[in-house]
Amino acid sequence: MNILETRGLTHDFEGLKVITGVDLQVAEGERHAIIGPNGAGKTTLFNLITGTYTPKGGKVIFKNKDVTGARPHQMVRLGMGRSFQITSTFSRLTAFQNIRMAVLSKRGIRFNIFRFVDKMDDVTRETDEILKRINLDGERNIPASGLSYGKSRSLEISMALATDPEVVMLDEPTAGMSVDETHYAVGLIQRLTEGKTMVIIEHDMDVVFSLADRITVLHHGEILASGAPGEIRKNPKVKEAYLGEMEI
Amino acid sequence: MDATTAMYVAQGIHGLAYGMVLFLLASGLTLIFGMMGILNMAHASFFMLSAYFCYQFQIWTGNFWLALLFAPVITGFFGILVERFLLRKVQRLGHIGQLILTAGLGLIILEGVKVIWGTESKPVLVPTYLQGLVNLAGMEYPVYRLFIIGISLILLIILSLILYKTRLGMVVRAAVSDADMVNALGINVPVVFMTVFGVGTWMAGVAGVVISPILTVFPGLADQVGMDAFIVVCVGGFGSIGGALLVSIICGLLNSYGVQFFSQLAPILIFIFMVVVLTIRPMGLFGERE
Amino acid sequence: MNKGFKWILWGILIVVLIVYPRLFGIYYTNILVEFGIFALYAISVNLLLGYTGLLTFGHAIFFGVGGYSTALALTHIQGLPLLASLLIGFLSAVLFALILCPMVVRLSGTAFAMLHLAFGLLMYVVTLKLRGITGGEDGIGGFPIPPFSIPGIVSIDMTDPLMFYYFAMIVLVICISFLWFFTKTPFGQIMVGIRDNADRIDYVGFKVSHSKALIYIFAGGFAGVAGSIFALFQNLVSADEFSVLNSFAPIMIIMVGGIASFFGPIFGAGIFALIAELTSRYTERVELVMGLILILVIMYAPMGFLGLVNMARARFFNKEGAS
Ligand SMILES: Nc1ncnc2c1ncn2[C@@H]1O[C@H](COP(=O)(O)OP(=O)(O)OP(=O)(O)O)[C@@H](O)[C@H]1O
Ligand SMILES: [Mg+2]
Repeated sequence: MNILETRGLTHDFEGLKVITGVDLQVAEGERHAIIGPNGAGKTTLFNLITGTYTPKGGKVIFKNKDVTGARPHQMVRLGMGRSFQITSTFSRLTAFQNIRMAVLSKRGIRFNIFRFVDKMDDVTRETDEILKRINLDGERNIPASGLSYGKSRSLEISMALATDPEVVMLDEPTAGMSVDETHYAVGLIQRLTEGKTMVIIEHDMDVVFSLADRITVLHHGEILASGAPGEIRKNPKVKEAYLGEMEI
Repeated sequence: MDATTAMYVAQGIHGLAYGMVLFLLASGLTLIFGMMGILNMAHASFFMLSAYFCYQFQIWTGNFWLALLFAPVITGFFGILVERFLLRKVQRLGHIGQLILTAGLGLIILEGVKVIWGTESKPVLVPTYLQGLVNLAGMEYPVYRLFIIGISLILLIILSLILYKTRLGMVVRAAVSDADMVNALGINVPVVFMTVFGVGTWMAGVAGVVISPILTVFPGLADQVGMDAFIVVCVGGFGSIGGALLVSIICGLLNSYGVQFFSQLAPILIFIFMVVVLTIRPMGLFGERE
Repeated sequence: MNKGFKWILWGILIVVLIVYPRLFGIYYTNILVEFGIFALYAISVNLLLGYTGLLTFGHAIFFGVGGYSTALALTHIQGLPLLASLLIGFLSAVLFALILCPMVVRLSGTAFAMLHLAFGLLMYVVTLKLRGITGGEDGIGGFPIPPFSIPGIVSIDMTDPLMFYYFAMIVLVICISFLWFFTKTPFGQIMVGIRDNADRIDYVGFKVSHSKALIYIFAGGFAGVAGSIFALFQNLVSADEFSVLNSFAPIMIIMVGGIASFFGPIFGAGIFALIAELTSRYTERVELVMGLILILVIMYAPMGFLGLVNMARARFFNKEGAS
């Protein structure tokens, strides 16, 4: 069964067509990679699904519900998490506070002005557990802006996961990482997304093939091909689109 | 021509003259904001300072023209010093830093003029040939208001020529719409900033001198006219010279005709206008950025 | 700092506040009341500025609305109890914030600041013009100050400055403690999150506009309480309360005291009161000194007084300064 679907999704920026008639299908529990050259419209597709923009045409179906035009916070509450291509953490808050923000949200603690947040022991415990799992317990009290690049990427990814979403959308989680960092990040993503549905945008083909069990190729805002990694590797159209750009 | 028409014309000239002075003041403010992101709370204080310089020059030399020439130049120079030695140092603190600094400066200028010149208002006299009325095509016009309109128009033309025909102007306009671009072009931004700040305060200085014979020179001058200039900039849109011009003239006319038609309500109207515009378009009528 | 030590500090503070009038006389007692009022006012502004990253040039709206509604209520309603008049000040400011909310919550940065400047100016002019209600330039003065009374138990005369001092201090300390608590709750975390990265807040699952609205209402309401106490204290309200200067005052207090800490504005208000008092002995030109101090602070100590203290602490103890 598909947990996430787009039907004829279309979007343009002042006439510049960026997404045209995209039918994306993501089955429950699937690890779905979206690949495509720079400017193909991958991030825009994410933005349409997660509520950053309202699509100009088409539909987004999430858990059998029409969520077209839902706002980002609504999508999160419905069970979708998202990380960003460009790190977007709370720069002056500590690693702990960053993660705690997501933990609070997950527990539905929003307008609580009646308790000390530092005294919510269960929240603290859960946050610390997450920090430990992502190997950031040593940096617990360091502001996000003071973390190394690799660590801040880990934090970025973990914030998307700390709300415990059913579907997690990762936009180039390994962007800008060194080989070692990438290797570590892949392991981290594998561990954290266990049992979840994952949609990941990725340029690094090694990462794609080690993580994904289904691949969708986006090109000029359209789906060029979609299928198992083996099929995509052999697909002549994909080869053509990528010719000279990337090795598959 | 009957008396009513004559009165309307006279009111119109008054409004236009005040509008043009507002424009001189507001264009500097809006350029400085648009280009440097600086909300210069001391802008109107410079304007007032120049009026005092003008008064002092007249005492020393007895000559209005010398005052008109030198007072704004000294004020502009003062502005350059402020940019170079104060504002530049707090740039990294952003809006709030600049706001506090210029607000502090405004307080100092305000109190400073009180210490030096006292609190009572000082007269500034214009040469006799600029006083009285002139008869043009069967209608009487107040000469000095026409003079203000004329001098402002000349400055407006020069400003437009610089902005639209020179390289400096191109840089300034580019900076107003996208500050990063100028950095990317590798232009010596600090020097451009200093120039813009200097020219902006110089224009405020000119405005201060030309308005002083009408309103006299007193410590409340900055508040009274400065507030109007601020409204002009907000409504016209930060960084928009055209917007500043249009709204200045509307503001000036509203000021002179409003008193006639709505008496009590006139000042409220302009604020309501401001609130409505900003509610619908937070960046102002012609502003591109917030 | 351990817990016991903290309690001792609080105890000392309370004792000092109680015996203060006896030690320093009524003149300095009144200065302390004014200091407290502006501390609360600045703290309410700092909820927006320091915590949420929203600069406003028009918070005097709420201070003024609080003051005017208390004054109007006491003028027109016979036998209104003291606390009710205070509550009216608070609720009117809250109401005003609620009305402005839909217009301001989508904004931030300069647009937010400017729209508030516009609203503030509008309020100022309207107050001057609606003479019939607001008294125009004269303002409203001489309204009855009711005693603080619990029927059948006590009735304390509030026109006695000493008694008013105790009343004002209790209310102010309660309000400030409440706001401090407010910043320590989960919602307080959302505030700083909005300041740091409002866009991301949405993707964590909080709704930025609703959260901003709640902060705005609190900031407005407590500025209203400050204005209300100020009206009772002076037994006078005037249009100056809506003036731009009165909107700038808390921003300056915050900057001087330290924007990055809850207690910064309290120190700022104290420093301002001290400077005003000291300089007024030697010169008429208090504002001149204020202006100079602002420039010096912003150039050499942009994190304010508490920033300096933390730096000094870090240097002497060779450790990270506490926040
Ligand atoms: N907010 C926007 N306004 C205008 N154009 C935009 C906007 N966002 C994206 N675009 C344009 O849409 C196209 C697709 O952009 P998008 O960011 O979705 O590509 P992408 O596939 O994520 O690329 P990359 O691999 O570089 O991240 C690009 O041409 C981009 O310039
Ligand atoms: Mg992208």
